[in-house]
Amino acid sequence: MRDIVKMIVVLSLIAAASGLSLSLIHRATKGPIEYQTIKFVKEPAVKKVLTGYDNDPIADRKKIVVGLDEKGRPRELIIFPAKKGAETFAVALEGKGKGFHGLIGVMVGVSRDGQLLDIGITAHSETPGVGSKVADVSFTNQFKGLPIDKEPTVDAISGATYSSRGVVAAVSQAVGYVKKFRKEIF
Amino acid sequence: MSITSEFSKGLWKTIPPFRLVLGLCPTLAVTTSGINGIGMGMATTFVLIFSNLFVSLLRNFIPRQVRIASFIVIIASFVVIVELVMQAYFYQLFKVLGIFIPLIVVNCIILGRAEAFASKHGPVVSLADGLGIGLGFTLSLFVLGCIRELLGSGSILGIYVMWSSFEPFAFMLKPPGAFVALGILLALMNLISHHQARKGG
Repeated sequence: MRDIVKMIVVLSLIAAASGLSLSLIHRATKGPIEYQTIKFVKEPAVKKVLTGYDNDPIADRKKIVVGLDEKGRPRELIIFPAKKGAETFAVALEGKGKGFHGLIGVMVGVSRDGQLLDIGITAHSETPGVGSKVADVSFTNQFKGLPIDKEPTVDAISGATYSSRGVVAAVSQAVGYVKKFRKEIF
Repeated sequence: MSITSEFSKGLWKTIPPFRLVLGLCPTLAVTTSGINGIGMGMATTFVLIFSNLFVSLLRNFIPRQVRIASFIVIIASFVVIVELVMQAYFYQLFKVLGIFIPLIVVNCIILGRAEAFASKHGPVVSLADGLGIGLGFTLSLFVLGCIRELLGSGSILGIYVMWSSFEPFAFMLKPPGAFVALGILLALMNLISHHQARKGG
């Protein structure tokens, strides 16, 4: 009996110490990790979809709250504004859509007058060689100049209908945010 | 059983993965370039040093029946620390090593050293053992990575060194190439050991 109690106590103590230290380290690394993901994943996409700005969209990024997640915590969206002088003439923001294998992240550039500037795929796990073609310029270029008040219509990639739809869904989500939170964004 | 001998045995006598043929999964998977080998080796060394230290400090406190579970909790904690720190400060390396960082938890070398060495010895020698084995592992991965990088993409540490008409063996960057390179290195090491043993008597 004493052995069992000792086992339980020791194992619980080790697990508790491990949990405590990990939560502290998680808190300490949260900021740098967020910075790194923005720098390596978002920055190339932001630079692709925005042009002609004279500020640093990464440094000027702001966060807006776009609703609550399943656990009731605020869901934040990062906005990358492109400015000329003091005026924000376009923004880049990320939308997500369900592809063939999980979510596709798409950085969408939207101008103040309601046009899609360009899109860039930030994250996807689509089938290499088939669904992954949605990241090709020949596909993403179709979104250039489309008005945001209509559902975007583009030619899907043959054999990759789900992936193409996923991208359109992601773009629609981002556009939806722009329409809904226009005041906060621009 | 001095500290220096515990340290240096990891560098040749029991160098993983050649002598202790353990931890082959990360060895074969990530050694497509020298730098990846170093990254993986350093991450493993860090985990190995700290898991050995903590297992050794707690060795009289952990009941025998739950020792494996306790060791795994300790090892897993350090692996998560490595993963978070790497993600925060070495993001590009983190992206390349990806899934193989969490898999350090089940690397046999680490649990093997905890069970076979650290749980029976004091903290200082365990630290020396972890450092030795870890550096040996890093060295092996680096050598293997360099050979595969040289033959598979014609460069060493990202700098192209082969002549211009050199046709890279793409095979060497694929998993079978890892087996071939590992096998040849193992054979070479055995040849040297044989030679030494014969000379010695």
